[in-house]
Amino acid sequence: MAWSGGGGVFGGAPGGAGFAGGPRSAANPGGGLPFAGIPPELQAGVDKLLTSEPDHGEPRARFSYRASAREGRRLTLRWLLFEHWHLGALAVLLVTVVSVANQAGPRLIDAGINHGMGRHKDFGAIVAAAVAYLIAIVVTAGAQHLQVRVTGRLAAWVMNDLRVKVFTHLQRLGLDFYTDEKAGVIMTRMTSDIENLQQLLQDGLAQFTVQGLTMLVIAGLLFSMNVRLALITVVLIMPALTALSLWFRAASERGYDRVRDGIANVLADLAESLHGVRIVAAHNRQRHNVVHHRNVVGEYRDANMYTAQINAVYGPGTQMLGYLGSGAILAIGGNMVLHHTLSPGDLVAFFLYLNRFLMPIQLLVQQYNTYQQGQASIIKLRTLFEVAPSVPEDPDAEELPPIHGEIVFEDVTFGYDPTNPVIRHADLRISAGETVAFVGPTGAGKSTLAKLVTRFYDPGQGRVLIDGHDLRHVTVGSLRRQLGVVPQEPFLFAGTIRDNIAFADPEATDDQVWEAIRAVGLVDVVERMPAGLDTIVHERGQSLSSGERQLIALARAFMARPRVLVLDEATSNLDLLSETKIEAALDVLLEARTAVLIAHRLTTAMKADRIVVVDEGQVVEIGTHDELVARGGRYAAMYATWMSHSDADPERAH
Amino acid sequence: MRLGRGHAAVEELPGSPFVPMAVDPRYSAPRATIDPDRDKSWLRRALPIVLSHRRTFATALILSFTGLVLQVQIPKLLGDAVSELGRAGALDHYVRLVLVLAVAAGLTGYVSRLCLMRTAYSIEFDLRNIIYEHLTRMSFPFYDRVQSGQLISRANSDIRSVQMYLTFAPSILVQCAIAVVAFGYMLSISVPPAFVAMATMPFVYVLGVRMRRLMFPVSWLIQSRLADVATIVDENINGVRVVKSFAGEPRQLRLLARAADRLQWAYVKDADIRARFTPVVQNLSQLGLALVLLVGGYLVVHGHLRVGDILTFSFYIVMLQAPFQMLGMLIMMGQRAAASAGRIYEILDEAPTIVDRPGAIDLVECAGDVRFDSVDFSYLEGGPLVLEGFELHLRPGETVAMVGRTGVGKSTVARLLSRFYDVNSGAVRIDGHDVRQLTLASLRSKIGIVLDEPFLFSVSIRDNIAYGRPDADFADIAAAAEAAGADEFIRQLPAGYDTVVGERGYTLSGGQRQRIAIARTLLVNPPILVLDDATSAIDVQVEQQIHGALRVLMRGRTTLIIAHRLSTISLADRVVLMDQGRIVADGTHNELMATNPLYVEVLAQAADTDVDAAPEPVTRPRGWEDGPTGSPPFGVEGV
Repeated sequence: MAWSGGGGVFGGAPGGAGFAGGPRSAANPGGGLPFAGIPPELQAGVDKLLTSEPDHGEPRARFSYRASAREGRRLTLRWLLFEHWHLGALAVLLVTVVSVANQAGPRLIDAGINHGMGRHKDFGAIVAAAVAYLIAIVVTAGAQHLQVRVTGRLAAWVMNDLRVKVFTHLQRLGLDFYTDEKAGVIMTRMTSDIENLQQLLQDGLAQFTVQGLTMLVIAGLLFSMNVRLALITVVLIMPALTALSLWFRAASERGYDRVRDGIANVLADLAESLHGVRIVAAHNRQRHNVVHHRNVVGEYRDANMYTAQINAVYGPGTQMLGYLGSGAILAIGGNMVLHHTLSPGDLVAFFLYLNRFLMPIQLLVQQYNTYQQGQASIIKLRTLFEVAPSVPEDPDAEELPPIHGEIVFEDVTFGYDPTNPVIRHADLRISAGETVAFVGPTGAGKSTLAKLVTRFYDPGQGRVLIDGHDLRHVTVGSLRRQLGVVPQEPFLFAGTIRDNIAFADPEATDDQVWEAIRAVGLVDVVERMPAGLDTIVHERGQSLSSGERQLIALARAFMARPRVLVLDEATSNLDLLSETKIEAALDVLLEARTAVLIAHRLTTAMKADRIVVVDEGQVVEIGTHDELVARGGRYAAMYATWMSHSDADPERAH
Repeated sequence: MRLGRGHAAVEELPGSPFVPMAVDPRYSAPRATIDPDRDKSWLRRALPIVLSHRRTFATALILSFTGLVLQVQIPKLLGDAVSELGRAGALDHYVRLVLVLAVAAGLTGYVSRLCLMRTAYSIEFDLRNIIYEHLTRMSFPFYDRVQSGQLISRANSDIRSVQMYLTFAPSILVQCAIAVVAFGYMLSISVPPAFVAMATMPFVYVLGVRMRRLMFPVSWLIQSRLADVATIVDENINGVRVVKSFAGEPRQLRLLARAADRLQWAYVKDADIRARFTPVVQNLSQLGLALVLLVGGYLVVHGHLRVGDILTFSFYIVMLQAPFQMLGMLIMMGQRAAASAGRIYEILDEAPTIVDRPGAIDLVECAGDVRFDSVDFSYLEGGPLVLEGFELHLRPGETVAMVGRTGVGKSTVARLLSRFYDVNSGAVRIDGHDVRQLTLASLRSKIGIVLDEPFLFSVSIRDNIAYGRPDADFADIAAAAEAAGADEFIRQLPAGYDTVVGERGYTLSGGQRQRIAIARTLLVNPPILVLDDATSAIDVQVEQQIHGALRVLMRGRTTLIIAHRLSTISLADRVVLMDQGRIVADGTHNELMATNPLYVEVLAQAADTDVDAAPEPVTRPRGWEDGPTGSPPFGVEGV
């Protein structure tokens, strides 16, 4: 989670002096919040950067409703990396070179001291050592340069694969998944769970290897110089530092959990106060809220103080351990030099290596967090991949040929929860070109019947047929391309008006889009827009009125030129003008199509060829308006109520 | 715009008998705030806050300097010890000194860090509270202008970057000061290797700065592209039905893959920039070591330097790298902090426009006589008039329904009554007092508004209902819920009245939220009640039940009902029809039905929508499917 990075500046460079830990790349500008845009002062830099961006061309990913065998594999880190094994192998090689070459320095200083500054003064030996050192530096830097490039690419590619894979899978999942799972959770899988792996792949794995190897190399060098002193160093310092680091990790994990909760509460409180500002003002709650907010911020500060406490122990603590270790080496190694069991150069090298030995321990312990987070994300993603689509495409599914639009329900029973059917033994036949209105009380199953036509769900029992084809035996794409759906609440994507209308057919020409716009009577609205078809519709379509949004949804359906149209009538209040426009648009849209209307108003239902009254999951009446009124059943009662209602007056109501 | 009351000294929001207060302050308020003088630099303006923590802050800086001075001794001691190994007793002496210094440096390090971070978090605490308090003072015209999302996001990251700079800049400077001390030590040992050792440091700094200058845009680009990916996913989730209906999956995947490619490029770019700088920055110190070996070695060979001194120099090189790197960071931090501070001050410098006037009086007794006297009003200065010559009189105890087309300005009338906005001209009077002559708190305590979009807070239902009277006892709360027709469904919730709702809690249907909002207002028991389309999402049947209770409650209260539904209008003694910014008709429902075609039209439109028994989705958070339970039978109105 991005927030844990918040401690970076405080807790960073834990060893303080002596550790040239590279500056972290992730500046974490967002701080775990929704992205608020690039700050203006950095915009120029970003623009400059963008001039070097090439055209990426068409993405390679292709969508299919059926998963290939390769995609069905179990998701593991190893498998993800395996796809780019050649890069991985190169990275391992480079990491090894870095770890070894990087540790040459102190050993060479040692050699320079022993051979050049001992009893025989020999400047040549010193020059040789210094030159060797320079070469080692060049090798290290070169290998590091390549390694960063290689691991950076490896991470970027693997992440790209993963994003496409997860999203493809999400696209295959049925509507049930989207209604059962909270949107936030789905969002997390595609965002922070994947982003967690970024850190691990880009840097974590390489660091893990580098630090591990570094420790081995240094330990090897120390032992090769003097076994006793090396043993003492390892026995004295390593356990203490490891223990301290483990404590730190556990404690700071607890601490950052508190900090995360704290900041979440602070921001939620702030957000709610802003969103509910009218309620706050109306109830004179400002003073109360200020004190409450102070308490919430105070708790957050306390949480921060707790982590500060931990950091304040750990940073100076490790430093102190390092110095104490140096003191110990001085005491023991110094005596050895006095007794000529250790050369002065080796003693100097011991000091220098000790410093370099402390860092990997700390880094390893900290990297372990990255690794754990990455693993946790992998497991969550794996679980997601194990969710099977509820409306799978039959392996033998055929393309649905161009249809006439006859829809048949054969003894259909269905429930979102199979034990609690919403539709019971429904039989219904809608002829091609007919307009049928579903009416009935809330929850009767009108929308559910419609959703079975679009195959958002499969019936538990019975069949739904279009032109005699069982929906389960045709490909999803070929079916849906011949259907048009207008949902109750029109959803607009945050793109241009063109993209929204041409959703079903991204290749559509402007003329075609305009035709759709004309058909629904949106011309004046679009022409009024500052950028015409290219006007960006705001998030959730805020810049358009709800009537206009509905018209765009109708245009979108028109654009798809469906044979079968499923329309869930909007219930929201519209002004009269929009109302008239929408009715006109519907007349155009319904012409010569099979249409299923989920009607919430009797005026709409009356326009249909036939009316289907649905109640408790069953079709209870079918017929034209006149027939049903004459029959004197449910529909007639509804109609009577409505008639009395529309000219009712409040006095009569009681 | 002039500054309101200056915020140089922290000023508590005024207490008043009308202001509810039922929370114990567990933390004390900030002791200082931003200097209101806008001509000062951002740092000077922030100074009062920093100074209010001067004791801790000074301790931190002094101790951190002390600690660093102690640390600088250690390399010197180690080097001397190595050089003087032959001298009797020297080793023990040095070992003891090193150990003592190590412990002392550790302790000062601990205390100084603790104090430094205490200062940092206290400043953050102050800034957050100052901004929050300022925001609660702000008036509605301000909230109409700013986006709350931006405000939150900014409030967060901007506060951090300011706080970071205020606290860490001095600390980094102290660390850099230590470089001077270390350099002095090195010079005292030997001049040439001292210069050689320091030679690489400017490069560490310069390269660090350059690297960050290049890295910052990339990391922001990455952030913005991550946000692009998130937007696509978010839209795909919210618009999943459209995607599926039109077989839009391939298209969505293409969109995402394209965004992922762009993100990938940014990540590779990031790696390439790091690849250019990291090896150099990280190995510069090694270069310094190699050069010291060469130059120092030469001096040792010629007897001008001791072997141990090479060790001392090596230690210093490694020790000094971090401060120089941070010095580069400091500059970047400073630039960001200045920009962030600018945005924070922009908020703080804005003064509330609707405040108690000097000499404003409390509205203590309120009979409930409401009068709009030829009110003109526009939301924007010079913008179109929403109300023009608006006249309306509500007699004490009267219930009036206001009817009109969507967007005609009905809600505006309610907002002016509570003085969410001030009129352009004319006056809104309560019991003859111009609302601008009354204290806001007393005025608003007398008016209960139920809004059409009922906002609930992420607290328990109990606390939501008690929002205006946090100290209310449970019996009152339950009674209010009962009257609003909410008691029954609340008791059926998993935790009853303790169920947490709102954005971060249990999802209630629109109708249920409206009923809680009504209960919330009823609990306050205001003499003037405004129901702004407050029952629009409530099942007509349920509404009927509430009406009984509402009728009782409205007795003795002045009530303004803004409504579309006939059934709701039936609660009123009188109906007024609003059009083009004024009342165009006034009378009973029957009179208007008979005489006013506009009225008939407005009502017919509303009536038509109601046939389906105003769908009130059930509480379970299943997307769009109307649930199988709780559906009312057909016949809607209790005719």
